[in-house]
Amino acid sequence: MIKNPLATLDRADIVIVGNGIAGLTAAVEARRLEPEKSIVIMTRQSHPTINTPALKQFAIGKVTREQLLAYPPGTERQQRIHVVDALVEGIHAQEKYIRLAGGQCFGYDSLLLATGSSPTGLSSDVPGRDFDGVLTLHRLNDYMDLRRRLNEVEEVVVIGGGSHAIETVMGMLYWGIPVHWLIRSRAFLPRMLDQTASDMVLERIRRAGAKVYTETEVLGVVGRVGAVAGVVTSQQQMIPCQLVLVCTGTAPVTTLARNCDLPMKHQQGILVDDQLRTSVRDIYAAGDVAALRDPLSGRYAPRAQWHAAVLQGRTAAAMITGAEEPEGFGVQWHATRLGDLSMLTVGNPLAKVEGALPLTQKRKGSYCRLSLVDDRLVGYLALGSEPQDSLAIKRIIDEGLSVRDITKDLLRGEFDARKYFSGKRSFAVQRMIVTGQLPTPLPPVPGIISGESRAVARIPAEARSPLPAQRVTGELYRPATGPLVRPVPNRSTPPAPVQPAPVDTGAQRQWLADQRTLIGEEPVFASKPPNGAHQEDQKEEVELVVRVPERQFIPPPTRRNPHPSRSLWHYTNKHPAVNGKGKANAEK
Amino acid sequence: MLKSNSGQPAVRLHKTGSQVMQEIHACIGCNECLLACPALGEPLTIDILNRETLGGPISRPVAQFARSCYQCGACVAPCPVGLHRDAMMMWLKVRLLRAGWEE
Repeated sequence: MIKNPLATLDRADIVIVGNGIAGLTAAVEARRLEPEKSIVIMTRQSHPTINTPALKQFAIGKVTREQLLAYPPGTERQQRIHVVDALVEGIHAQEKYIRLAGGQCFGYDSLLLATGSSPTGLSSDVPGRDFDGVLTLHRLNDYMDLRRRLNEVEEVVVIGGGSHAIETVMGMLYWGIPVHWLIRSRAFLPRMLDQTASDMVLERIRRAGAKVYTETEVLGVVGRVGAVAGVVTSQQQMIPCQLVLVCTGTAPVTTLARNCDLPMKHQQGILVDDQLRTSVRDIYAAGDVAALRDPLSGRYAPRAQWHAAVLQGRTAAAMITGAEEPEGFGVQWHATRLGDLSMLTVGNPLAKVEGALPLTQKRKGSYCRLSLVDDRLVGYLALGSEPQDSLAIKRIIDEGLSVRDITKDLLRGEFDARKYFSGKRSFAVQRMIVTGQLPTPLPPVPGIISGESRAVARIPAEARSPLPAQRVTGELYRPATGPLVRPVPNRSTPPAPVQPAPVDTGAQRQWLADQRTLIGEEPVFASKPPNGAHQEDQKEEVELVVRVPERQFIPPPTRRNPHPSRSLWHYTNKHPAVNGKGKANAEK
Repeated sequence: MLKSNSGQPAVRLHKTGSQVMQEIHACIGCNECLLACPALGEPLTIDILNRETLGGPISRPVAQFARSCYQCGACVAPCPVGLHRDAMMMWLKVRLLRAGWEE
């Protein structure tokens, strides 16, 4: 009789492959939702999870290594998350176990793939790409390497046409190193920015001191005794440099999708639905490796961004434990700061949707482009010195709110999110009075702003409302404005479900009079909430509104000398010993 | 802090709880806001600040920092992703106050 090997297999309830931010966020969130389940992270990474976007600040010395940690040290142990140093080679989805590199196997109940992405790097036919000084910037080790070299570098070549490259260029300029920036295409970020915006960004970079070469590629790297001495470009030019930084983008690591015994759909990344399920049962994907459907274009693409990865980690945990209804992801959102210019793109500002109307406004030092369909925003692009309230604009697009009244403000870059949303609230109140109908309440959002939220995170399965169908479709959706107003529950009794039936005007007025947060009066914190579950509702309700000074009364402190160590060794003004011109004059 | 009619202190915020949570999740931890802060006395890491703004017990250095923050807004301009650290600090202040009431 054959002994069943699965009976003696090591196993865990939740197995996560990858220790990036998506993986660890999912683990921590799953622990919060399911205190008893066993959680294991499989990783080959030699360091704890770090804030990868802050690596650029780390390279130029603004952040120390300890400050890079994404979670306080010891979080994994405290949360009883086992981190195993192992390489996962394949998935046996039928028997539900994974195969590790040493030939061992490990069983799972739910599997989350968060393997992230790997850098594309220089293509293999570029000669000289193995010289010392050619760095592909992606991991912590690369940036530590870069940081060590910065003091002995005279000139740098940066290769790549994305935001990763431009942030690297800005970092090098901050350190005071001359930069040559090679871009393959004609413009910067041609899929996200239009020509005007791209020209503006490049102009700003040129003024900051970098040399920009568009439509230029690397033909080869020239070396001298093993180290980089320069770069030969497709414009028949040789650029001398001591360091070549390659920022040519990343590709999702889909090895595990290929090594799965059941077919797992993948093209550019592993295809997942809005709830992060792959095409194989009980296997989820999150982070850079997951290709999500863009609600506007309907195409699947990975969103290699920090905020997206955090959101996906949380959603994956909610899906795996089944304890919460996941929130949607909404549209793309990217914000970055280039010196004194902040760049923001939300949704698809270059949308080729039928009926899309682009509005642009260019002023000195700022540029703005809206893409409108009827009175709804589908894309927003802003360049300017003042940072915008970017997440509020994302919310406008996600919720499909009308922007008829704020189009001008958005175009000018003077959009005041606070004013707008509180205005929305009072409008909703007005409508309640006119129509005599209460808005339909949202289900309470569990687990907001609370560490001890274990008790509240559970929503019984029957109470969970099904996902709205229109969320999943590729078309624009238009939810009601109702959710902006949430009825405040009576303080002494647990909240009763609000009837959406028409109410007579007297009771309506009375109800409104109780709504301190909605009309006029101050909201009040309850001194002691009746029970844990109710507490969350109240925290949600109590927040609200205004009156914190918004202007800056104090100017931000000025920066120190940007290159402290170099100044020790460099004499910036070299005065000639003899002033030849003066001497000539004297002789006359 | 403002006083409401019922005598208890009431706080008005310019970001709702879910917005603050969303912003903290979008924080990339680049430390620019703390570099610009004129009120920061002792070094503090951004992960601990974020964690304790979201929930859980508030440690002494974070509490001290939250009390010394005077909402000047110097942290808003340098943020690369356009977040509002002042609103998050306001939330931290609220949590401190609330913890004080419950004692």
